[in-house]
Amino acid sequence: MTGPVISLRGLTKCYGRFEAVRDLTFDINAGTIFGFVGANGAGKTTTMRMLCGLTRPTRGSATIGGADVWRKRHAVRSKFGYVAQRFSLYRDLTVVENFRFFAGAHRVSSRKIEERINQVLSLIDLEAKRDAPAGSLSGGMRQLLSLGCAIIHDPPLLFLDEPTSGLDPVHRQQIWDLLYDFSNRGVTIFVTTHYMDEAERCTEVGFLARGILLAKATPRTLIHSFRVRLLEVNIEPVMPALVKLRDIPGVLGVSLRSGRLRVYSAEPERLVERWKTQWPFPDLQFKGERWVEPDMEDVFTAYSQGYDAMIKPIS
Amino acid sequence: MKRLSISAIASVARKEFIHIIRDKRVLVLLLILPPLFTLIFGYAFEAGEPTGVPALLINRDQTERTQRFVDLVLKNKTFTWKKAPPETTNEGDLVGRHVQAALVIPAGWSESLSNGDPKPLPFYVDGSDTNTADALTGSLQRSLGEFQLGERQVMIDSLPEEVFELGKKLPVEVRKQFTSAMSQWEIKPQILYNPKSRFIDYVTPGIIGLILQLLTVTLMACTIARERESGTLYQLMVTSLRRGEIVLGKIVPYLAISALIILIILLLVAFHFEVKLISPLVLAVVCLLFLLCSLGLGLLISAISRTQTQAIQFSVFFLLPVFVLSGAFAPLEHLPPIIQWVAEFFPLTHFCRAFRLVNLYHAGPSFYGIDLVVMLLGAVVTFVGAALLLKRIEQ
Repeated sequence: MTGPVISLRGLTKCYGRFEAVRDLTFDINAGTIFGFVGANGAGKTTTMRMLCGLTRPTRGSATIGGADVWRKRHAVRSKFGYVAQRFSLYRDLTVVENFRFFAGAHRVSSRKIEERINQVLSLIDLEAKRDAPAGSLSGGMRQLLSLGCAIIHDPPLLFLDEPTSGLDPVHRQQIWDLLYDFSNRGVTIFVTTHYMDEAERCTEVGFLARGILLAKATPRTLIHSFRVRLLEVNIEPVMPALVKLRDIPGVLGVSLRSGRLRVYSAEPERLVERWKTQWPFPDLQFKGERWVEPDMEDVFTAYSQGYDAMIKPIS
Repeated sequence: MKRLSISAIASVARKEFIHIIRDKRVLVLLLILPPLFTLIFGYAFEAGEPTGVPALLINRDQTERTQRFVDLVLKNKTFTWKKAPPETTNEGDLVGRHVQAALVIPAGWSESLSNGDPKPLPFYVDGSDTNTADALTGSLQRSLGEFQLGERQVMIDSLPEEVFELGKKLPVEVRKQFTSAMSQWEIKPQILYNPKSRFIDYVTPGIIGLILQLLTVTLMACTIARERESGTLYQLMVTSLRRGEIVLGKIVPYLAISALIILIILLLVAFHFEVKLISPLVLAVVCLLFLLCSLGLGLLISAISRTQTQAIQFSVFFLLPVFVLSGAFAPLEHLPPIIQWVAEFFPLTHFCRAFRLVNLYHAGPSFYGIDLVVMLLGAVVTFVGAALLLKRIEQ
């Protein structure tokens, strides 16, 4: 479990003149749960599809286990499982028939197929639905089934494209428990998401915006990359305050959290000092301030909005 | 290309087969329509000549001789006559009288025959569909010829004795020439290749080809387009399956079902319509090549279509000219040369030709070999084309 499983070197994808993914260079080590975080359209799916050999890179290259993901794509395919963003299994086939097909397609030897199917069924807890058509399953169960089909050949690497989007919290938890389970067995996991709480569950996170990698580190390192303290203020009424604070010089941005406002600023201490001596909004009531630990959402906001003054570079 | 795995192809084939049997409506269509079409087409084309065509008869010449002609005409099975009174006017209004033809015997017709200046018989006939008019006129002409022959005999029988005396004085050669001229000269047809002249024997390959082409091309065209539409194509492409395995796996179940359909149709025409099938093995090869060619075409359409709707539209646009121009129901030789040249690109043309050469003409491989080669070539070209197009979607 040493050395990079996935290596990207200047990986770039252009659609016409539009650069969807720009010059990505990074490694992912074995056993990592790598969370690829970014807004819709940031280039997460495009990157993943290049890594899966579904889209040809315009420039640069990537390898999985040392083999080029495009030139050796047929050889590489036995080494990973892929869960697409959209449910893309056969709705008219039953759960078991889907498994049997993908097992055959992944060249699982026919002696082992039934045993492996039962193993995966119990893992994803879908034994009761084994003969139900895939199209009749609920969204959560479909996602579990997709995951099951992706691991039917027991791959050492798993790609998941927003596996929990649109799922209820119970199924989200179930999916993540499974991912931890796989990770525990040494499977490397590459997962895209735009949920920040999910990013925090990863062992390593990459921020992607407009096709550019902004940062890549462990969640802890990213949170510690804040060079300033994070200010949270209690002002009433809160909505007009949010709008007005945004326009104050020295404030980079404001976000609402549980009724309080988080103020992104390079020098928050000076702001507080000024507000305490002279509060500029007579119609708003300043009820107090406190210093909080930034979470992943704060970090992502700072990176993606370009609040560079708040961040120290990650070594 | 590396070696294809049989078990991988079997996986795809099994999955594809499940798709077919799970779609109950299409399955019913597949199993019911071909025999039903065969029966309908078989009966529709069984009678080659028109019979019982409604026609109007207006006799304005009430004489004994005309009555003899009318009796003869009434026996003609081509028509079902409705008699109209002699004073009827506007006899050309066929549509208004719900008939397809109207025969008028003008007053004084019988007399004109005796006067050495026979009047022609006005015959109004519906020419809208281009075939009927000739057939009806021909049939009536035959009745008239029969009548003329009979009348001539009556005339000869009633000639005065002197004429025969006079005739005996003529030189033998002239007499013989005269006898010859007086008798009807005949053609003795030796009908070859379809001696009973049954249209069903001719049209059998047309029926098989039409149904099979329709089913195979449209169904096959939908397979890859469906995977693309549902997103499963990408899921397929990240498995270890090779393109060849996907394509072959998709072909196999449709090939099996098409073979079954051909068998059903052939059994039906053989036992129900009593069409004789010569050398079934050769016919099987002809059918197989045609199927491969059609499936390949479907696959090619599938590979260029983004959605199933597009696939169906492409199929229909391709199939329409094929049905009309491939010689499935009428001899290709009657069409203009340029159309015949175009028709050579349709697999159905070669299938029908090869099938007829084997089954009607009892011809040897040297005659239909070229058609088999063309179909084989078509299958190879379409399969390779589809595989190449599939390669392109990967990028």
